[in-house]
Amino acid sequence: MIRFEHVAKRYPGGVQALSDVNFELERGEMAFLTGHSGAGKSTLLRLIAVLERPSRGQVLFDGKNIGRVSNRQIPRLRRKVGVIFQDHKLLTDRKVLDNVALPLLIAGLSWSEIRRRVRAALDLVGLLDKENTRIPALSGGEQQRVGIARAMIGKPPVLLADEPTGNLDPELSAELMQLLCTLSELGTTVLIATHDLELVRRLGRRTLVLESGSMVDDRAGGQGS
Amino acid sequence: MSGLIDSGRADLRAWGRRHAYGLLSSVGTLLRNPLTSALTIAVLAIALMLPLGLNTALVNLENVHDSLDRLDSISVFMDLEVDEEAARRIASQLSSWRDVLAVDPASPAAGMRELAGATGLDAADVGDVPLPWVLEVVPEQAVDTAELAERLGRVERVDMVVVDLDWVRRLDAILEVFGRLVQLLAVLFALSVLFVISNNIRTEIERRKEEIEILALVGATPGYIRRPFLYSGLWMGAGGALLAWLSVHGALMLLRGPVAEVVATYGASAQLAAPSGEMLAMMLAGSGLLGILGAWVAVSRQLARINP
Repeated sequence: MIRFEHVAKRYPGGVQALSDVNFELERGEMAFLTGHSGAGKSTLLRLIAVLERPSRGQVLFDGKNIGRVSNRQIPRLRRKVGVIFQDHKLLTDRKVLDNVALPLLIAGLSWSEIRRRVRAALDLVGLLDKENTRIPALSGGEQQRVGIARAMIGKPPVLLADEPTGNLDPELSAELMQLLCTLSELGTTVLIATHDLELVRRLGRRTLVLESGSMVDDRAGGQGS
Repeated sequence: MSGLIDSGRADLRAWGRRHAYGLLSSVGTLLRNPLTSALTIAVLAIALMLPLGLNTALVNLENVHDSLDRLDSISVFMDLEVDEEAARRIASQLSSWRDVLAVDPASPAAGMRELAGATGLDAADVGDVPLPWVLEVVPEQAVDTAELAERLGRVERVDMVVVDLDWVRRLDAILEVFGRLVQLLAVLFALSVLFVISNNIRTEIERRKEEIEILALVGATPGYIRRPFLYSGLWMGAGGALLAWLSVHGALMLLRGPVAEVVATYGASAQLAAPSGEMLAMMLAGSGLLGILGAWVAVSRQLARINP
């Protein structure tokens, strides 16, 4: 589904965020991406969501080199990647409903269909009663879950999460992980950037380790509990 | 095949819904900031009122001008030896012409009084200057005065024909200049509409930068992001045009009384012409398009910065 071939990313100004990264994620695979902050985790995710273009090498998405697609094709690609951002990236002056509905509004679904799916997604993340609450009235953890609902509502084949459990208490983060596991079992490719090594160890999934922009380890998961 | 058509229909429906969401979003933005929206529309209306007001004034002056044309008269100077009887005979002959409204013969004595009055001298001072009979010919409306004057010149025992068209021509020329000025101002103020809306949308974009970024992140096309702003530009432009049109109507209402009094002193009656419904349609379309254009310029600059 996703394949990195000798990918390097150098930002203007000379910061080398990634150098010669190679890996592949199968369809429906769930993996963790770990490393210290500044190791290049966010950059790697941004490359998959076409928020950045690689300086060298290729990022293949379903066999397509997305580092070379035209600007016109980018929106279509982004709709295939749900991203859960560390800083949520929510519309703070809107209601929860409007935020979660965004990908469906863009797709041009009917309002009744949108309502139905938003309620289903909010139910999944346990926020059904907050449908009409404005974002600032929510706690950090609730905002994070709104972001999660938005990322998965369009049923994208790939789901990326940047520190999704950062603001959640252990119970909620376990629930979230369970949700992501379920989605991957249903065929969604899931890549989670985190430095919560305890969580990674507990779930026993494949783990990619970045260090100063290089992939230093790629441990296959033991499928532990 | 039918599957293809179905999916085409679904695409069309989705496209329609996306447009509807964009439209609703623009209305929502306007309503969420009622004061800002009202101020912008007021500024645009004031900018549009000047050319519209001047144009209305021009239309009314042209109306006055048309009715003034009727007051032109042609002075036909007879030969010196033409006596009163002959002059009156020729006058009645001329008044039967189809393009002549009236003929008013003026005696040499009347001419002398007029001359004396114009020069500020006593009739006695002017002395014994021989003056001819003069026939003041008033043409019918919409008659080519120059051509009529030429035919009058060919009439027997006519010495000279004087058409005092100078002041009419001067008024014509002034109206021409005025009309050109209105056109120039219209272009200038159309540009100001463009800039005001463009700048307004730019500020709005600056304020909603985060939202635009988020929309792009979740896969909105530039068209989807642009659309609500284009609608906002349309609302502002059309709103400004409507308000300007209504304001000029209001101003005319206030002017109606005083103008009627002025006109009455000339012994005439005239109706003030208000800007027409066609003018309103034209302004709505023009100003609306300018609004869309202004918004387009502002959004495109911002969108260019989003893509990697």
